[in-house]
Amino acid sequence: MDKKSKDDQPQISRREFLGTGAAAGAASVLPAGAATGAEKGPSSSSTQAKLRPPSPLAMAREVGNVEPPASVKRTAVRPGSDLMVQVLRDLNIEYVISNAGSSFEGLQESIVNYGDNPNVTPEFITALHEESAVDMAHGYARSEGKPVCALIQGTIGLQHASMAIYQAFLGRAPLIVLVGREDKHFLQQHTADDVAAIVRPFTKWDSHPTTISETLDALQEAYRQAITPPCAPVIVIMDGHVGKEEAGDLQLPVYYPPKISTLTQGQIDIVAEGLANSENPRINVGRFRTPEGIQDAITLAELIGATVDTRSTSGPMSFPQTHHLTGPGNNQDNDFELGLEAPGAQASIIGPHLRTLDDRDLVGINFGNIRPPVRPVRDTSGANDMIFDAQASLPLIIAATKKKLDARARNIVGKRTERHRKANRKARVESLSKAVEERRAGWEGSPVSLARIYAELWSLIKDKDWCLASPTVFSSRHHVALWDHDRPYSYLGVYPAAALGYGLGASAGAALAAKARERIVINIQGDGDFNYAPGAIWTAAHHKLPMLTIMHNNRAYHMELMYLQYMAGVRGRGTDRAHIGTTFRDPYISYAKIAEGYGVKSEGPISDPNKLYAALSRGVEAVSSGEPYLIDVLTQPR
Amino acid sequence: MMPWRKTHGALFLVIAILFTTTEISQASGDPDRGKQLYYDHSCYACHGYNGIGRRSLANNASGLMINEEIFIIYLRARADQNPQFPTQTMPNYDESSLPDSEARDIYAYIRTLIDQPPPVAEIPALQGILDDAENRE
Repeated sequence: MDKKSKDDQPQISRREFLGTGAAAGAASVLPAGAATGAEKGPSSSSTQAKLRPPSPLAMAREVGNVEPPASVKRTAVRPGSDLMVQVLRDLNIEYVISNAGSSFEGLQESIVNYGDNPNVTPEFITALHEESAVDMAHGYARSEGKPVCALIQGTIGLQHASMAIYQAFLGRAPLIVLVGREDKHFLQQHTADDVAAIVRPFTKWDSHPTTISETLDALQEAYRQAITPPCAPVIVIMDGHVGKEEAGDLQLPVYYPPKISTLTQGQIDIVAEGLANSENPRINVGRFRTPEGIQDAITLAELIGATVDTRSTSGPMSFPQTHHLTGPGNNQDNDFELGLEAPGAQASIIGPHLRTLDDRDLVGINFGNIRPPVRPVRDTSGANDMIFDAQASLPLIIAATKKKLDARARNIVGKRTERHRKANRKARVESLSKAVEERRAGWEGSPVSLARIYAELWSLIKDKDWCLASPTVFSSRHHVALWDHDRPYSYLGVYPAAALGYGLGASAGAALAAKARERIVINIQGDGDFNYAPGAIWTAAHHKLPMLTIMHNNRAYHMELMYLQYMAGVRGRGTDRAHIGTTFRDPYISYAKIAEGYGVKSEGPISDPNKLYAALSRGVEAVSSGEPYLIDVLTQPR
Repeated sequence: MMPWRKTHGALFLVIAILFTTTEISQASGDPDRGKQLYYDHSCYACHGYNGIGRRSLANNASGLMINEEIFIIYLRARADQNPQFPTQTMPNYDESSLPDSEARDIYAYIRTLIDQPPPVAEIPALQGILDDAENRE
């Protein structure tokens, strides 16, 4: 086109125009007084001749007095990213947790604006670091047994997130990582041909769809893969331009739930026969995928009057600790022991292990063989191991066992249950008597005893719906002996990769789950762990998360202090220099001030143990009203 | 050289005998200097700032506190260990790093550590745990 349109002709701004004296004809469209601020600028007759005056619309826009146009011709009336959000909504994904990126604005805009009830299921959650975003998704997954999404930016965001993904992989956490990718963008550093490659050895599945339709399928498959045992993080690479394209009349794909393998009918009969004919059965319960597994385990234990060994003090999704069948019972001579995601002498039903995913390391350019966490669950060597998902198999076992119990057998079960109830109650009281006596030591010492923190906190939360989200291995795990772990999320467990930097983000993620469920989250927060990504506490403030953080402030990477102290001792030199590189001195860190800076109410440091209870009371009250709170406590080392 | 388990087993036996037959001796060191040295050499790492920790020393609870010599012998006798978890084993303290005079100061400080917590019945948080367990159906 060689003839310029009117819009292509040079225009001048309001200020320039008013300065030229050409305003006379346009002044009538301006609001009263708008012209009084006109500045006189350089003018020349040639400028006046070449430039035409701004349109009335442009003039009105500049003073903020513009009416929206009657109709807008949009490039996409039904953008693909709207459909992607609808798929996540249909999957009941509660949150998309994200650190800002420049490749997923289409999806982000759809999350916050699409639909009659925008920014709800999923709600966009702002994280200040990709590692925090994935840790939050991990904490949520451990708490609820289902995924939310982390949304991160290309190669750079995925590298930031990789440590948290590794931790989630070893923690068998179902979560979906959406990675924004923009190949046409000016920032080529943020893209790559195979973005997911860097985390492939420690993710379960990844996909790089290239159309809207493929993306919708990929999101559904990602969900299926994440929740199918072995549960693990999955990746979907999201090309930014796909979400901006017009979807037209494209229909959403139908979602099919995963098919999870269960015991064969022959195996079910063997297990049911063993349980029904046993005079003193026992069930060892490990970690189920979701709370439904726990309910079925309770049903089975009560059906046969079996005593139960639980893992509820060491991680989520296990049997209630104070259920009347939990404990040694009145007779430890068990003639049939069933393991559910745990070893059992006569039968172990243990779902597929993460090691089944070893072939994901296809090109061998990474860690090599990923090592499982210490003491892996036995899943291949036991003569009676059955590599099927225990939770999916439980309804079949219950049904088969019921058929084998006649009235006489049920009567025997009832009497057995009563004997176990009394014995377990007695054992619990004896255990607690010993535990409280031991934890009296150092009660009035300063810095504050960690046992006192756990004991006094328990008195304030025991009647609430609570979740202990932080790993407690470094704060001596006093909750194990003193608290009652009766809910699927009572304790979310240790660092799966034994790597710091997880606790604060995971607790914030558990608090995301807690927020909508009138639950509070307890975070006994190590100081070393806190300093990796403290910004997660701002997310708690911004989204009003019920997270009580109690700093286990021992001013050190304490384990490493002891390692260095030991090494210097072996070499016979400088045991007084073990603090170098292992402690936080000169200056000490004020966690209360950090929290305050991030907008979280806080207090401390508290070193007087007699001031602890009042501080904990204020903290519990604050989180119970729906806001985060931090108490900095100077503690004994462990 | 005898395996360390044997040498330490013998040492523990001697300590145990002394502990049951010997009264605890006086300390010759300076407890004020010992307090700083207890901190500088990270004794608090396992024994707590007040002598209450994974290996409690307060109230002269440890057999190592029978007298200074036993205490110093024990500090010097641990150089040949190679535990899997250094956090669970007492480190060695060589004389070149911690002279006998300073070890005596630490000993004197530890002797001052007394822990007298209230009984459980007078600690509501702990007594409440017992009461709840007793009252549970």
